[in-house]
Amino acid sequence: MTNSIDGIEKSNCIFIIGSNTTANHPLVSRRVMRAKEKGAKLIVADPRGIQLSRFADVAIRHKLGSDVALLNGMMHIIIKNGWHDKDYISKRTEGYEEFAAEIEKATPEITALATGVSEEDLYRMAEAYGTAGAASLLYAMGITQHVTGVDNVKSCCNLAMLCGNVGIPGGGVNPLRGQNNVQGACDMGGLPNVFTGYQPVTDEKARAKFSEAWGCTLNEKPGMTITDMIPGILEGKIKGLYVIGENPKLSDPDWNHLNHALQELEFLVVQDLFLSETAQVADVVFSAAALAEKEGTVTNTERRCMKYDQAIPPLGDTLPDWDIIARLGTAMGYPMHYKNTEEIFDELTALTPSYAGMTYKRLGYDGLQWPCPSEDHPGTVYMHKDTFSRGLGKFHAVAYQLPAEQPDTEYPFSLTTGRMFAHFHTGTMTRVSPHLDIEQEDGYVEINPRDARKMDVKEGELLTICSRRGELDVPARLTTSVEPGTLFLPIHFGENAANILTSSEAFDPLAKIPEFKVSAVSVKKYKVEAPAEAQVEAEVEAVS
Amino acid sequence: MKCTFVPSICSYCGTGCGVLFETIDGKLISTIPMKSHPVSGGKLCIKGWNLHEHINSPMRLKKPLVKTFGRFINTSWDEAIQITADRFKDIIEKYGPDSIGVLVSAKMSNEENYLAQKLARAVFGTNNVDHCARL
Amino acid sequence: MKRKVKEWLEDGTVDLFLGYRMNCGHPLPHCFTKEEIDDVEHLLVSRTRYSLEKIATHLAKRDPELKIGLLARDCNQRAINVLTIWHQLDKDKIFALNVNCCPSPIKPQADCSYMSGEQTSSYKVQVGIDNLMDIEKADDFSDQEKNVRWMYEFQKCLKCYGCRNICPVCFCAECTLEHKDLIGPGRLPPQIPIFHLVRAAHMAGRCIDCGLCEDACPMDIPLRLLYRKVGEIVKNVFDYNTGESSEQSPLSLLGEKVSLSLKPM
Ligand code: SF4
Ligand code: SF4
Ligand code: SF4
Ligand code: SF4
Repeated sequence: MTNSIDGIEKSNCIFIIGSNTTANHPLVSRRVMRAKEKGAKLIVADPRGIQLSRFADVAIRHKLGSDVALLNGMMHIIIKNGWHDKDYISKRTEGYEEFAAEIEKATPEITALATGVSEEDLYRMAEAYGTAGAASLLYAMGITQHVTGVDNVKSCCNLAMLCGNVGIPGGGVNPLRGQNNVQGACDMGGLPNVFTGYQPVTDEKARAKFSEAWGCTLNEKPGMTITDMIPGILEGKIKGLYVIGENPKLSDPDWNHLNHALQELEFLVVQDLFLSETAQVADVVFSAAALAEKEGTVTNTERRCMKYDQAIPPLGDTLPDWDIIARLGTAMGYPMHYKNTEEIFDELTALTPSYAGMTYKRLGYDGLQWPCPSEDHPGTVYMHKDTFSRGLGKFHAVAYQLPAEQPDTEYPFSLTTGRMFAHFHTGTMTRVSPHLDIEQEDGYVEINPRDARKMDVKEGELLTICSRRGELDVPARLTTSVEPGTLFLPIHFGENAANILTSSEAFDPLAKIPEFKVSAVSVKKYKVEAPAEAQVEAEVEAVS
Repeated sequence: MKCTFVPSICSYCGTGCGVLFETIDGKLISTIPMKSHPVSGGKLCIKGWNLHEHINSPMRLKKPLVKTFGRFINTSWDEAIQITADRFKDIIEKYGPDSIGVLVSAKMSNEENYLAQKLARAVFGTNNVDHCARL
Repeated sequence: MKRKVKEWLEDGTVDLFLGYRMNCGHPLPHCFTKEEIDDVEHLLVSRTRYSLEKIATHLAKRDPELKIGLLARDCNQRAINVLTIWHQLDKDKIFALNVNCCPSPIKPQADCSYMSGEQTSSYKVQVGIDNLMDIEKADDFSDQEKNVRWMYEFQKCLKCYGCRNICPVCFCAECTLEHKDLIGPGRLPPQIPIFHLVRAAHMAGRCIDCGLCEDACPMDIPLRLLYRKVGEIVKNVFDYNTGESSEQSPLSLLGEKVSLSLKPM
């Protein structure tokens, strides 16, 4: 996030696109609701009807994958009405001309056609955002998990810059990170092309710095992303894989593809709390200690690095992740001896300019928001105040593209995936939690009652869903929060894993994020009639 | 009897709400929202409130495992680490460092992520490091 | 006060004492013991409120013989009363060190974090329920308006169960709110208004108006007001003063599998 979570409350207008905030970032939705109650305008754009739509001043359901079209259309109206911030554009940005030429094409008629949103609603959205003053844009996986993910993000940035909303309190472009320390994992160089703090591995200076600190020579070739690694395994390029705390068997876009790949590996090590689907096919499994059993820091979506403490000793024969990694490094002939996580933290802050001013002592329990370059720097509440990281903010001319897969006669439905409020990611942690399990024990698919009626499917009855990749059976949940022709499948449930249906071939060419949000599928009622629950009850009654 | 309240951060989403783990005699009893936390101010969602439950789960792995003849057996840390180190060394020798991939985790701490990419880059000698946030 | 706590710990009046202390600038609950008696110097009395009596019930469940001391504001004291009436705490094993404070209408004129709360935002006052409203005012709305306003509030619910989890007098092992047949699981918002009304009904004769539930509600739903209304009914109809009367309330609804005796878990 360029701005802060509590800063949302200072906003005059909040535009949420592609985020079911109350379910996935509940404590962010709190701030949104508070802003709304303080008088801010709320715009919600989501292919599904979400809880926040009920409170929105403008709530629209655009077609799956039409985000760029929608944003371009909004910007067209904003420019036509002169609501853009001309002063900001000329002083702080570049590339406007080319961008404006692209936007010129996105007339309301064209946009309405591409997105399924009425021209009137488009106008109201544009007006609410364009005339608000400080407006905050929030988005999540609904924007990034598309073939056009990078384009979607660029369009969000375009919109924010167009109205002068980057670098002011209450404004900003605010991606909501799905997992607790995605931000930290990226900051710490958990990416194939950069060291900590986004210092490129191709940069000679950065390499020299790390090579001196670590006492070794470093590979200058950027590595493979996870979306490259899987085919890499099949092509025999990757032979050994070390998976830490992840469950790609459920989170990877294409289950069959991955399953096959994992079997091809010569050696797979998985480090986790549980024997997850992925750990089950590993050669060695490292039993890791859990959150309460260790200390360390995490960085949340507003760039706040926060410290957590150890509450209980590690269970049985488990070790904190850092200890396992250090032992492995040492066993491979590279001594990694650390007394505690603070030593590691001090080593990494010395190598990472944006974290340079942080120490455990300074973090306390409030944490600090990076960039925090020196010991006397108070941290950064909102970024790009006077200048962008690259100097001038760049407008990108982005043209709208259709999603990789369109519904057709064979696969007439669009399937989208996501999370529900009581579970997290692949469910390895939440499904073993009794109070969360009770809230939702099994998977389900959301279908519009109209579609369900046509197929004579009632609540809880099984549906068979097929895509070009595979098929699965899953109970129906009837709700108008999905439009007719659309299905929503939560990702948490291994027994009806969404990635059996989604595609591994469609991903964003730059960010390598797979298109989870749109697949074409067909739906029919499960062939063997599942008896209704009441009927089962009656039968059981009769027997006993 | 000893009872403690230890500050921690909820790990179920990127919001990063502040919690206190209530422990009695070294056992995790409950999760309490931390009232003075700058992000969450004493409120949590359903996941945060039940943060302690997955840690107390009987399904947790308690020992490192190695697979021999298709079945997992419990092993010691020394052995698990040694086997892994040997196998990785073999692979690097045979196919070069870029034949290894490391998937770090958005659920680990900063220190652990730092160390994991250091392991990949400095020890294995590859930049094949990624995390699952794309997924 | 610190002297008293030390005395209690030293002469064995209590085995431990629940209070607060500062930790890196955050006032947090803390358990003081005889072994670390010097820590009592850091005992903090401030506006901070956690449900110490709920923690005490956790301790008592593990060791019913344990003598527990705790810092008690008026609300804590009322909760302790209710908990002892319902056999969740043993009257003879609980030693409260009273801090006089409470702002509740049950006992007016006092100072507490709750009362210094911020002004309710304008839009909420317009379409929802002002958290600072008193019962009479809230009753003034027409039935239809009441319905619309309360439904607005309930629709925001994130189903975090925070109101139940933090509540000192919610102690059922199996809670009705998680009953599948009554309240459909897995949906946001939860089924309204039944989710909130079930809990409100359960608070009759037990809610001691501490306001912790509303403090914990991420969506600022005016729960305290709702439960006050229920408390008022119990008072008017049964002449029962929750938190002060020494018997169980004549009207009480509980969840299932409630253990009404102090047994180790
Ligand atoms: S309590 Fe809920 S909103 Fe807060 S970090 Fe945890 S999952 Fe996210
Ligand atoms: S005010 Fe809320 S938390 Fe306090 S006793 Fe009543 S219901 Fe429980
Ligand atoms: S605390 Fe508020 S949001 Fe949470 S369940 Fe209770 S009423 Fe709903
Ligand atoms: S059943 Fe009622 S009284 Fe019992 S815990 Fe649930 S809400 Fe509270």
